[in-house]
Amino acid sequence: MHRRLFMAAIAGAAAAAAGAGHAGETPSAPDTWLYIGWPQDGSTVTANKPFRVWFGLRNMGIAPKGVKYPNTGHHHLLIDVGLPPLDQEIPSDRNHLHFGAGETETMLELSPGRHTLQLLMGDDRHIPHNPPVASKKITVVAK
Amino acid sequence: MRQLLMIALLAATLPASTLARAQAARTPAPPNAVVYIIWPSNGTVIDGGRFWLRMGLRNMGVAPKGVKMANVGHHHLLVDTELPAMDQQIPNDRNHLHFGAGETEARIELPPGKHTLQLLLGDQDHVPHEPPIYSGRITVTVR
Repeated sequence: MHRRLFMAAIAGAAAAAAGAGHAGETPSAPDTWLYIGWPQDGSTVTANKPFRVWFGLRNMGIAPKGVKYPNTGHHHLLIDVGLPPLDQEIPSDRNHLHFGAGETETMLELSPGRHTLQLLMGDDRHIPHNPPVASKKITVVAK
Repeated sequence: MRQLLMIALLAATLPASTLARAQAARTPAPPNAVVYIIWPSNGTVIDGGRFWLRMGLRNMGVAPKGVKMANVGHHHLLVDTELPAMDQQIPNDRNHLHFGAGETEARIELPPGKHTLQLLLGDQDHVPHEPPIYSGRITVTVR
């Protein structure tokens, strides 16, 4: 039983890895660096109280949704969720926040507990680039 | 002689500013918009003079030059200079760096000594908004 579960997990991981091989059609520069400037990985924030998150992006520019301009995209903040399929439009819900007006920071409020945050760039149509531009996934604890 | 020169100077500057003001339909900015330098902070000493400047913007978005949308603009860095005329295009030279590709970070190189840095947001035509959105002017030292 355990073993079967294990095999299923491997198959799942392989499928995910294959999925991750896909990407959108908008090219990104190989030296692009996307990161969460604040908060830092492992930091503690006050629960149910807004705190600022700023988005860092190097070697790429910001353009609002719908704007096609070379080497640009707009930020998406993933909360408590893994990367979505990288060849499709990034979902828009409470776990996937879109910053289609070209925002480079936001105020965020989290319920008590551990949470993960990760940034993912989307192109003019909210589809990740090729190669995809994603930040490291960080963990914050809301107390 | 000195007085004559002054009058001549006045006469030369007057028509230009009147003309610019007559054309002015400056792009509105939200009154709570804030542009600021995330890094370096005021008084930072930078060894070697090469650094990544991080540009912060609140309550407004970033868009490349030429993009006409509400509540967006792009960053301009003023190096060792005062604020330019607010009703005209921001000059484009070594003291006025344009980030018209929507950049929010830039690699800067400065010679040894004291330098001032200030951000000024420009609209799709590189003209400051109404009200103009600019940061405090900071001083950094390169050694």
